[in-house]
Amino acid sequence: MKYRVSVDTGGTFTDVVVSDEKGNFTTGKSLTTPDRIFNGMRAAIAAAASELGMTGQALLADTTLLIYGTTRATNAIVTKTVAKTAFLTTEGFADTLLLKEGGKFNPHDFSKDYPEPYIARRHTYEIEERMTASGTVSRPLNKVAARQTVETLKAKGYEAVAVCFLWSIANAAHEEAIGAMIEEIMPGVPYTLSHRLNPIVREYRRASATAIDASLKPLMQKHLRELESDLRAEGYSNQILISTASGGCSTIEALSEKPIYMIGSGPSMAPIAGITYSRLESLGEDVIVCDTGGTTFDVGIIRDGRPTFSRDTWLGERYTGDLLGISAVDMRSIGAGGGSIAWIDDGGLMRVGPMSAGAVPGPACYGRGGTLPTVSDAAAVLGYFDPEFFLGGRMKLDMEAARKAIGTVANRLNLSLEETAFRILGLATNLMVRAVNDVTINDGLNPRESTIVAGGGAAGINILDIARELGCDRVILPKTASTLSASGMQFADIVAEEVASFVTLSSNFDFERVNQTLADLKARLETFRKDKLGASDRYRIEFFGEARYLAQVWELDTPLASDRFASQADLDAYVNNFHDVHERVFAVRDPESPVETVNWKARLTVLIANPETSTGETSGSETAKPSHTRPCYFGGGATADTPIYRASDLAPGHRISGPAIIEEPTTTLVVGPGDTVIVSAAGSYLLADAA
Amino acid sequence: MTIQDFDPYMTAVISNRIDSIIREMTNTLLRSARSGVINSARDFSCSICTGDNRLLASAEGLPIHIFGSHLQTQAMTDFAGDTLSEGDCFLHNDPYSGNTHAGDHTYLVPVFVEGEHLFTAVAKAHQADIGNALPTTYMAGAKDQYAEGALIFPAVRIQRDYTMIDDVVRMCQSRIRVPGQWYGDFLAGIGAARIAERRLKELCEKYGKATIKAFIDHWFYYSEQRMINVIKSLPKVTLKNSGRHDPFGELLPDGIPLNVEIRIDPENAMIDVDLMDNIDNIDCGFNESEACASASTIAGVFNSIDTSVPRNAGSFKRINLLLREGSVAGKPKFPHSCSVSTTNVADRLVNIVQSAFAQIGDGSGLAEGGMGLGAGCAVISGKDLRNGDGDYVNQLFIANSGGPGSPSADGWLTYGLPVAAGLMYRDSVEIDELKHPMQIDYIRVLTGTGGAGRYRGAPAMEVAYGPTEEPMEVLWPCDGTVFPPRGVRGGQEGAKCRHFKVSANGHAEELESVAAITLNKGEIVKGNQAGGGGYGSPLERDPKRVLHDVLERYETAERARDVYGVVLMQGTAGELAIDLAGTAALRAERAHA
Repeated sequence: MKYRVSVDTGGTFTDVVVSDEKGNFTTGKSLTTPDRIFNGMRAAIAAAASELGMTGQALLADTTLLIYGTTRATNAIVTKTVAKTAFLTTEGFADTLLLKEGGKFNPHDFSKDYPEPYIARRHTYEIEERMTASGTVSRPLNKVAARQTVETLKAKGYEAVAVCFLWSIANAAHEEAIGAMIEEIMPGVPYTLSHRLNPIVREYRRASATAIDASLKPLMQKHLRELESDLRAEGYSNQILISTASGGCSTIEALSEKPIYMIGSGPSMAPIAGITYSRLESLGEDVIVCDTGGTTFDVGIIRDGRPTFSRDTWLGERYTGDLLGISAVDMRSIGAGGGSIAWIDDGGLMRVGPMSAGAVPGPACYGRGGTLPTVSDAAAVLGYFDPEFFLGGRMKLDMEAARKAIGTVANRLNLSLEETAFRILGLATNLMVRAVNDVTINDGLNPRESTIVAGGGAAGINILDIARELGCDRVILPKTASTLSASGMQFADIVAEEVASFVTLSSNFDFERVNQTLADLKARLETFRKDKLGASDRYRIEFFGEARYLAQVWELDTPLASDRFASQADLDAYVNNFHDVHERVFAVRDPESPVETVNWKARLTVLIANPETSTGETSGSETAKPSHTRPCYFGGGATADTPIYRASDLAPGHRISGPAIIEEPTTTLVVGPGDTVIVSAAGSYLLADAA
Repeated sequence: MTIQDFDPYMTAVISNRIDSIIREMTNTLLRSARSGVINSARDFSCSICTGDNRLLASAEGLPIHIFGSHLQTQAMTDFAGDTLSEGDCFLHNDPYSGNTHAGDHTYLVPVFVEGEHLFTAVAKAHQADIGNALPTTYMAGAKDQYAEGALIFPAVRIQRDYTMIDDVVRMCQSRIRVPGQWYGDFLAGIGAARIAERRLKELCEKYGKATIKAFIDHWFYYSEQRMINVIKSLPKVTLKNSGRHDPFGELLPDGIPLNVEIRIDPENAMIDVDLMDNIDNIDCGFNESEACASASTIAGVFNSIDTSVPRNAGSFKRINLLLREGSVAGKPKFPHSCSVSTTNVADRLVNIVQSAFAQIGDGSGLAEGGMGLGAGCAVISGKDLRNGDGDYVNQLFIANSGGPGSPSADGWLTYGLPVAAGLMYRDSVEIDELKHPMQIDYIRVLTGTGGAGRYRGAPAMEVAYGPTEEPMEVLWPCDGTVFPPRGVRGGQEGAKCRHFKVSANGHAEELESVAAITLNKGEIVKGNQAGGGGYGSPLERDPKRVLHDVLERYETAERARDVYGVVLMQGTAGELAIDLAGTAALRAERAHA
């Protein structure tokens, strides 16, 4: 048997998913070992291997492809352990990283300091040079002064250099010249040039991406080298791919050059899992992926079979964090999860979050000293968890602590414990629904016509409620819900993107230069494919314009029908695509207005995933037998004796009508009164059509 | 209503939904608008009022825009009377019937549920141009409203049965510069209000009209309750404060004096904000509209209390505003011009209210924030020959004034103005150069310009730019050139604004606070906005913060010693370090001086 192994190294746990040629999935979990990532990985692989009755080494010997995703890059930024990095900028614009793009949340809140820039002002160096918007030289590069600056960087021991000049996207000569100086004067010190990494208009976005990328290079290059040598030492000899923020995989070499794409590479795989599961169950090409963890609720969407991308991904909070600036799979996170704390404010209003009990002390019911009422405590009080069999028996719940915690809120509301807990969960659902709404609205997706795929250990508690609130009647809770990202890697293809900035108007369209730009992009991707991946005919290259109406400033991704504009008809079709996208997202179209395209983007997809085929309809006609019953509360004033199903009680084709609780080893699915789920042929739980 | 009726759960659930709706309006307007002032700078706000014209919700809106929107919906219901119908949309920019100033176009959509007018969706956006006599929306020198020259829309119907009334569109297109840009913004504004209409109807359908009506009462009740609690925690005290706007030519050689008296009555949980003692209307554009006089003082109060109190008619009930008819900071007397009412005097009012609260004691109120729309926020216009023979007009947002020091934090660097409080976005240099035939020479933060204090004001920003081809008209109505933002409780004042026109041969001519200049190719304008005022004595500033400021070039080592009493020395690792003993000695000496 040949296997494919995916590894998702999180801050706490390393998840491993192993698939065989028949599409069977086996999972393994272990604690992450930050000092040497491979140790935790080896343990998790061994755990999965033992499920298969073999050793880790034997499993790796039979593995044809290993895909790796990690939060390493994100953690390095959060813990401020990135390289000592210098920022080189056009003279007069030293404060680009400091000033960002403005904006703030509460206008009346003056309690917080303005955030520090990603690279300190003292590590910022101005270079005498300037290009114009049209790419002409406004001020020549002062090479003597620039050399002195690079010598200074060397003397001060900088470990990486980020270079972002104004309008380098229109004329890269000055950035290239600095790159050459760095190679000459500081050989071996990694650097990033903005026009190569992220050639988009808007200096802050480009500079921020460049600064983040450069600062990650020393660390991530070492990390990837170590990982590769550890895997080779363990006897693994086949291909290693790394999952990326682009929603696919790429090579170690490619990511050593652009490590910024490793940020968020784990979560960006969840939508890939989402669309795969939706297709598997024949539930369509529009998917909302909801990943509920202990402290965050992440939402991503798939529209027409593709993930949505955004250049607005912030590391940290919006406005005050640092903007990634690259086109990344759009996963939005809100602070709501099992650990969110319920409270009553001084005006008597019920609130859930934003404070969280986090992992330590965690919810009161975990018995680790937490006393504040959390969403998990509410679920425990409602009877949704088996205190003796939580997480497949790996943890016992302290019900007394949970009841005491919820009691503090119940007293204020003058309601029963159960009713209070029910409302806490309701409010958490409400916040999550709002988060989903914000994301779907942003892309004009209608939740009513989409399929929800739920992931994360805490997803099953209220995913059916969330679906009902959204008016969505298609829900999938996959068997692998607790390892959605690692599962997504199993379905990921190799994705590479190239972007070029060339501004042109539909009313005065420069066919020649656009076609040249597109041809360049295509050639770069073809070279990458042939040189780095070997010949494969299972690939496609798609083209997009980042376009807007003339005078707008925010672009929308607009697909091209082919790889060049052969005629006015091709242009008309493209412009019409833009009108459609604009109307979908903003509810208005302006057919009279010229369309301005700012960036051109090509995406290479080399298909490596095993094509999934639909397993067909599941009638869900058979009735399952619950292993036992437990009193649970679903509103209405009284608890009801509720059937509890263990995973072992269920098989494909079973139909479970609520109220019921389904206990999987790593997640719990709550089926409320009136809801019915069926077990699909693939072993996933599907919401049955409203009967 | 009694407290027994209050539903802590449903109120929370529905208020979240309403917030969501306003965020969707905001997103729509930001992303689909055409002018930089909206789509880059976010100089717009969305809100929802009730059918009986009370402000219900305003997530993320600019305080100066939002707090008067109920006056505009009131004008709409008064003017339309029985003819108000589903499918209507109204355009409103009349400062004499509730708008901020004529430069803000407001789109009002009445939302009908089962035949009842339950809400009005309000989208207000500052325009790049409104057809004034000069290419600016800030007519500082206009002797009265007639001299401004813009079209005034006192709640004029622009859609009926969801269909555009083209007559109004033609009027605007005949008067407003760069009409294509205006029309794009117009569509975006209506689109935002219509999206709110759709969502509010869905909300009522989901929960039922009765539940939503109950929610409205509960939400106002809750918000008022929060405000009552806040006021009850304040001391019974009367606060008096004064300020002064910069001089303006021969008309106002001493500037505009401003006075406020704030009477806090914790027993009855009321705050009186009294602006009666102010001078009469003046013959220029600096008069406050009623909406701006109210909004700026209310913003000053909200800046000084628990930031989580909802901003709506419920909490506002506890603020009693006293405005005098015919006063520069009250209700204006027609036809006085309110062209600049959203910024200059309004900024001063925010400042004197929030800094008055600092009189209560340490930990209360704020210093004054940097004011003045200078060259970094000028309205620029001219010919753009790069794509044929075109015109451009737009307001820049490339430099900001610095925020005030507070009891617990330094000033916000990208604060902008007291009335914007950091909410607005900044332009991208590249986008500005792409959209206009101009080149920006620098944008930089100036060392040593934040008002010193235990928590210092944010430093000032400086810019320089000029046209690349054809001449460029540059207009701005600054303030803070003569009277800078002041510190409180021993904090010092922030840097003043200064502006220069620099000729091709390098000669720099200093400009007045309010400027209207033409730049030819080769000429540039350069200047800095104000720094924020400091909070508390600089001698009490944490020396670590002072060291950090020096390392990061917000402050110099000289000012660290002379102003903050912090002595720095070379540390062992080669970087600067704090001389603890030297600092203690110097600070002790200063404290006794």
